[in-house]
Amino acid sequence: MDFVHHKIAEGVNLYLYETNKFATVTVKVFVQDSLAPETVAANALIPTVLIQGTKSYPTRMSLVQKMESLYGCVLGADIDKIGERQIMEFYFDVVTPDLIPNGKQVFREGLAAFGELITDPLVEDGAFRKDYFQKEKINLAKMVDGLINDKQAYAVWQAVKAMCKDEPFGLYKYGERNQIEQLEPQAVYDHYRRLLQSNPIDIFAVGPSLENLPELISLWPWQRTALNELSQVSVREDIREQELHEKQDMQQAILVMGYRTAQRYLSPDYYGLLVANGILGAFPHSKLFINVRERASLAYYVNSSLEGSKGLLTVNAGIAPQTYGQAVDIIRRQVAELQNGSITDDELLRTKMGLISGIRKMLDDPGSIIDRNLIGIVHEELRSPQTVMDRIASVTKEQVQEAAQGLKLDTIYCLSGQKGEA
Amino acid sequence: MQLVKTITNECLHYEKLANGLPVMILPKKGYQKKYAVFAVRYGSLDSQFEVAGKGVVKVPDGIAHFLEHKLFEDEAVPVFERFAKFGASVNAYTSYSMTAYLFSTIDYFPEALRELLHFVQNPYLTEENVAKERGIIEQELNMYDDHPDRRIYRNLLNALYHRHPIRLDVGGTIASIREITVELLWECYRLFYQPANMALAVVGDVEPGEVLDIVGLQMEGWHDQGQEVKRLLPDEPETVNQPMIEQRMSISQPRCYLGFKHSKNLTGQALLIQQLAMNMIWHSLAARSSPVFASLYDSGLINDSFEAGFHASPQYAFSMVGGETDEPHKLDQALKEAIARLKQNQLSGEQVERMKHHILGSYLAAFNSLDYLANSLISHLFHGTSYLDVPDVLANLSVDTINQYLDEAFEPHQSAVSILTPEQ
Repeated sequence: MDFVHHKIAEGVNLYLYETNKFATVTVKVFVQDSLAPETVAANALIPTVLIQGTKSYPTRMSLVQKMESLYGCVLGADIDKIGERQIMEFYFDVVTPDLIPNGKQVFREGLAAFGELITDPLVEDGAFRKDYFQKEKINLAKMVDGLINDKQAYAVWQAVKAMCKDEPFGLYKYGERNQIEQLEPQAVYDHYRRLLQSNPIDIFAVGPSLENLPELISLWPWQRTALNELSQVSVREDIREQELHEKQDMQQAILVMGYRTAQRYLSPDYYGLLVANGILGAFPHSKLFINVRERASLAYYVNSSLEGSKGLLTVNAGIAPQTYGQAVDIIRRQVAELQNGSITDDELLRTKMGLISGIRKMLDDPGSIIDRNLIGIVHEELRSPQTVMDRIASVTKEQVQEAAQGLKLDTIYCLSGQKGEA
Repeated sequence: MQLVKTITNECLHYEKLANGLPVMILPKKGYQKKYAVFAVRYGSLDSQFEVAGKGVVKVPDGIAHFLEHKLFEDEAVPVFERFAKFGASVNAYTSYSMTAYLFSTIDYFPEALRELLHFVQNPYLTEENVAKERGIIEQELNMYDDHPDRRIYRNLLNALYHRHPIRLDVGGTIASIREITVELLWECYRLFYQPANMALAVVGDVEPGEVLDIVGLQMEGWHDQGQEVKRLLPDEPETVNQPMIEQRMSISQPRCYLGFKHSKNLTGQALLIQQLAMNMIWHSLAARSSPVFASLYDSGLINDSFEAGFHASPQYAFSMVGGETDEPHKLDQALKEAIARLKQNQLSGEQVERMKHHILGSYLAAFNSLDYLANSLISHLFHGTSYLDVPDVLANLSVDTINQYLDEAFEPHQSAVSILTPEQ
């Protein structure tokens, strides 16, 4: 089973997944925009301003108090980045009506507040409220500064940023401090209005008895005009290897190796790449885990992950600083093994099983059932869980090898302590 | 087999095996995933105990966690690979008061369950693999040390407690893990890994009868040989160790956490009541619905990292509140004032009613999560409570009881502050 599509308005699509399996109803709304230096910070700020209050509940305190009284409804908003798109995400979770007193009323009231938050925001003189806007600007800028507090996330992002310096993908999804500081309530509000009027909007719902949703959501005040064409992902051809070292006060060293891939989501052999990444570093049975952690005892964690829209594969390991050279060698060797086709039947089988299990597990969680479609909406090609599982199952060893041969090492980045030798 | 209905109209099956092992099975129709946790009531706080006929035994800190790592060794095929063969993923964690081994799988559930029970029952410890593990755990401890969240939390517990082992990281210290030997690991294993000191929880689309058959077969010949073990905790004074720990670290913004130690270590229903009452008290101060949160946020003293929580088991109870702030000392002061004001005004009936709705809703929503359910079933059992009792206990909790907790907790001499500031 998968989502049933309803068109709400031009460029506004609703997808419904009816099921009695869960104790909740989950609704998510995604508003897409191109990832661009002029808009990246504004798009990141908008969700945090919107949740400070709505027309009906003009403070965050009153809005959250209302949600609590509706049996802990969850209303929230965040920003995602998939390839070179930035996606505003609004989410709404409510206990299924049959489990609580006045369940239907609770659902309608919660959904109405959710719709109002997104489509009919709180305004003051035709712009976002100045006090909320200024406060959230300060908080967002501090949050961006705070990336440095999570060394692992910081290191991975520094590597990717260096790798994609002149590409939109090198923009941080929350914007940079100088971009945030320039934002004004009127311009950002006008920008949000334009997004609501003309950018692609996809709405997903998972839960029981959703039959009234198309009508309820059609009644939200959409004022759609012509649909905006968003930019496609840029692909870099001239790949050069670079090595970067950064020092901070820390015990451990964090190593990131960034590769460019030859395949992406829409490539016919994309699933060969997905399996290649799995054999390399997505599982405890993967080459990296076995060779870097188990055999050489070099790392507490080591893994690889794939960004299938932009086409990046990153290896990430926590190591002792003095083992830097050895770790890089072992990681390079594991990639070379894949490229030489030294892949056992067992590795191929377990990796496929692991990937397929991963997809089936997503079907147990309403948020994951929805989120697995994000890459699909960006590429305008939703794939059902069954389609993806069939395609993974059919991947051959040769396809894995071919995908691995498309991997080009772009950036080696290492963050380590002052005293560490690298 | 005992059957207990959940608030979601599902049914928990409970059985105590002949060897003393409690087994809990919660069938979830239509779920793909099957999740099992096999846990032992043995955690990082249990490094000193009295064994009948042997006297007081003191073992190096971090040994429960070390043992958790080591049980993944196997003479022939590494445990991770045994599970990967079934498409299952296996993991484990150690907390202050328990060690849990768990897996989730979609296919081959019976096979994976047998593997889980087998590897936990059959340690393979050699001098060589124990030596190798020290390197891996040292890396793990170093990694935590670089993490500001962990550092400020650890410092707070060090400020609150004089001697209680909760001061230490679950993994111990680099010095303590160097003292861990094969013999010590075996000694702790034999003392604590006994069926009556363990529990199994299975959640997913399974047949309870079939699960019990598998467990029964795998348990054949495994009898409880547990000697009587009395856990010992050092005498901990009521007062705090030091009122403030302030450190510098390479972070972007200062952080401040205010903590309270609570002297009452409760168990059973009393612990559950304490947890719900304390959670509501903290919720009324720190949740996004709170006027205290709103005023601190509007004044720019806190941001969305602000949080509060109550943490308790039969061996400890403490609270903490705080987050990032530009003015840590001012936040400390503002929080103390807010708590004093709350003590004076007390919680209102309306407030408590709203929070009850909220907590019940969150409790219901958690029935979507097999992992959360299985782990909650076990940790409640180990605490002498039942996870399924939460709605009833919540409904019966009176405003007066909550306000009584508010009256008794938060004495100034039981509080300490942990601050991190950026390096200059």
